[in-house]
Amino acid sequence: MSLLSVQNVSKRVREGERERTILHGVELELQAGELVGIWGARRSGRTTLLRIAAGIETPDAGTVQFEGSDLAKHRDRTLGTGIGYVTRTLRAGEEQRVLEQVGAALLARGTPVDRALESAREALARAGCAGTAAMRVGELAGAELVRVAIARTLTLSPALLVIDDPTATVELSERDGILTLLRELARDGIAVLASSGAPEELAGFHRVLTLGEGVLRGVSASGLAPVVALRSRAV
Amino acid sequence: MGAGSVREQPQAPMHSPVNWALLGLIIARPSYAYELARRFERTYDGALSLSSVSHVYTALGTLRDRGLVQEIAGTGSAPRSRRRYEATAAGLSEHAEWLVAQASEERRRQRLLVTQLGALVHTPERALEVLDEYEQACLADLAAAPPAGEITPGTTGLISRLIGEETRLSVAAKLRWVQYARAQLTQSGAAGAPGTPR
Repeated sequence: MSLLSVQNVSKRVREGERERTILHGVELELQAGELVGIWGARRSGRTTLLRIAAGIETPDAGTVQFEGSDLAKHRDRTLGTGIGYVTRTLRAGEEQRVLEQVGAALLARGTPVDRALESAREALARAGCAGTAAMRVGELAGAELVRVAIARTLTLSPALLVIDDPTATVELSERDGILTLLRELARDGIAVLASSGAPEELAGFHRVLTLGEGVLRGVSASGLAPVVALRSRAV
Repeated sequence: MGAGSVREQPQAPMHSPVNWALLGLIIARPSYAYELARRFERTYDGALSLSSVSHVYTALGTLRDRGLVQEIAGTGSAPRSRRRYEATAAGLSEHAEWLVAQASEERRRQRLLVTQLGALVHTPERALEVLDEYEQACLADLAAAPPAGEITPGTTGLISRLIGEETRLSVAAKLRWVQYARAQLTQSGAAGAPGTPR
């Protein structure tokens, strides 16, 4: 059984008066410890695909299963714990320190303060930004913000980490460090599903797929031969 | 025979990539044949291969006869396996010329591919299938490429980084081109070029 299984997923979006199919019959499977990258141009639907894979959005057709359970039925149980979707939006509370932000999810789940903050420290260290613990959110630079956002997701020990365009707001000199962090997390056994607008950033990922015209192309599951899109599916 | 016996009459170009690759290794560091064979396997793993160790002796003979390498003084009378080879001035010069020519050769191959794809313009379905398969090969290359940011010290590390960056950037450019070509071919198919079988 795959950790994540996206099966025949389709999604249409309304753009003004028109509707556009941005995902069409998408198939994707991930195993524990796999690092999978999705490359697509802007408006290709890569963010929507990641949000559907994480259970944040629901597809118009098809199913998403996480550890064998249908996300549409068990979303509340998996999102945030089994699946960690990295959002870069941290509450820029003037007075709140990074450590408290990172530990917030654990605190909200009733974890005692001391343990929550200790877990937050560990997550910051694992994400390579232990030095930011005492900083205010507004003081974080681009790469630090991404690392802190990853750390916040790691506090809940996800089996799958989903991250949309992790280097989009990061200085060129800092990009390799973020990508190295993703590789390290995968080596630690966390499945990582990442998107990017720059295919060269996905070098060394276990699998790289492309998304265009609603069609996901590439090897949809580890150990399988590449799937060549059926022309009749193209939209 | 050393550098003194350099070509006296025009010779056919040396086409064997193994010979050029071996010359590159000798330019990097003079070596024995056996050592060259081991370095060859390490350096060109997956890109070029030797049929056997004796392949190195054959290639060395060719390079020496063409005046591109020579036996280092004092080792010429040693057993064949103990002779060390270094590049001659002609070897350095011709190797540089060959490297530059390779860039042209790469461009020529890419142009050939695109031209051949253009030959399928009246059957866009087939052209799109070819494009899909080409994209799969690019994606596999990208996944196999060394990731940016992995630093290995020394000359070997430098070469690895250069190869990695060249692979990442060139495969990325090809993938972008595939998307462009796919859009163009899809439009072409939808519009139905004159005379297009439908």
